[in-house]
Amino acid sequence: MNITDQVLAALLVYGLPVLFGVILICSVGVPFPISLMLVAAGSFVEQGDMKLWQVIAVASFAAVLGDQIAYALSRWGGRRLINRLSRRIGGEAKVKQAEALTKRWSGAGIFLSRWLLTALGPWVNVASGIAAYPWRRFLFWDVLGEVLWVILYVGIGYAFSNRVQAIAEILGNLAWVIAGLIVTVILGWQLVRYVRPKPEPDPG
Amino acid sequence: MKKLEWRQWLVVLAFVLVVSVTGLFTVRTVRRAIYWHYHQDEPIRPWMSLGYIAHSYSVPPWVLHQALGLPPTPDRRPIREIAREQHRSVNEVIAILQDAIVHARPPYPPPGPPPPPDNIPTKNPSPGQTQGRSP
Repeated sequence: MNITDQVLAALLVYGLPVLFGVILICSVGVPFPISLMLVAAGSFVEQGDMKLWQVIAVASFAAVLGDQIAYALSRWGGRRLINRLSRRIGGEAKVKQAEALTKRWSGAGIFLSRWLLTALGPWVNVASGIAAYPWRRFLFWDVLGEVLWVILYVGIGYAFSNRVQAIAEILGNLAWVIAGLIVTVILGWQLVRYVRPKPEPDPG
Repeated sequence: MKKLEWRQWLVVLAFVLVVSVTGLFTVRTVRRAIYWHYHQDEPIRPWMSLGYIAHSYSVPPWVLHQALGLPPTPDRRPIREIAREQHRSVNEVIAILQDAIVHARPPYPPPGPPPPPDNIPTKNPSPGQTQGRSP
């Protein structure tokens, strides 16, 4: 019995508390077959073993709570560590730059890493916390993204309720394809900038 | 200047690496999708309940309950629990279920309605239930 079987068997027997617990620790960064669990929950809803609104409410709440814990730990634990390190080693300006960048782009990053690029989720939580991204905005994008994630995966489970194992396998691979494509585009753009001749500096 | 070139090579390396990994996962995704397109049945796993297996394989649940000697009442337990209770291995239970599924599908006659709870079923009822199935 692998970990997936254990988690799904527990979900079947104990229901919502397992859903809550597993999603919570996954949001903090422990890797579990979480998409498979949501797809399975969707299937159980379709078969009348679980209630749709309960699954969506509990899963969303657990995900958001886990993200907030990771954010808080990084913000008040990680930030102190970064400050101390940068004071000792130097590079305070760079830390400030990284923070400014995160503050500017994090909204989209937080939102997309909740439901599309789920592999990046825990990292974005930590990065947002360390960069002291405004908490209210983090919460806003977090709730929006996580609810979408839960509805999406439970919906897929509901629609393909007789093919949980198959769908989850495909989704698991697909998540990496999407993340890989986005990183490819970013790196490719970087390469294009290297190859292209630099623009002439403005005269005067 | 030198430092920048070194960094550019690093980006090239990262790019090649990411493209390869993405390609690998794309191939895997497509292969899985094609596989599941042609294989209607997913393998029975220890986490599945009898209800889920019946749903997934489109057979009446009572057929599976009967195969394991269980009453035809809804049972949410994963089959590994049932196996433990019956002092069987999970693989043994899976084999019994697969056998029952094979016999509940064409070319075998459809299983028909569930048996009344008190009677022990001995054969398939209602031979008139062919529902226009073409050979």
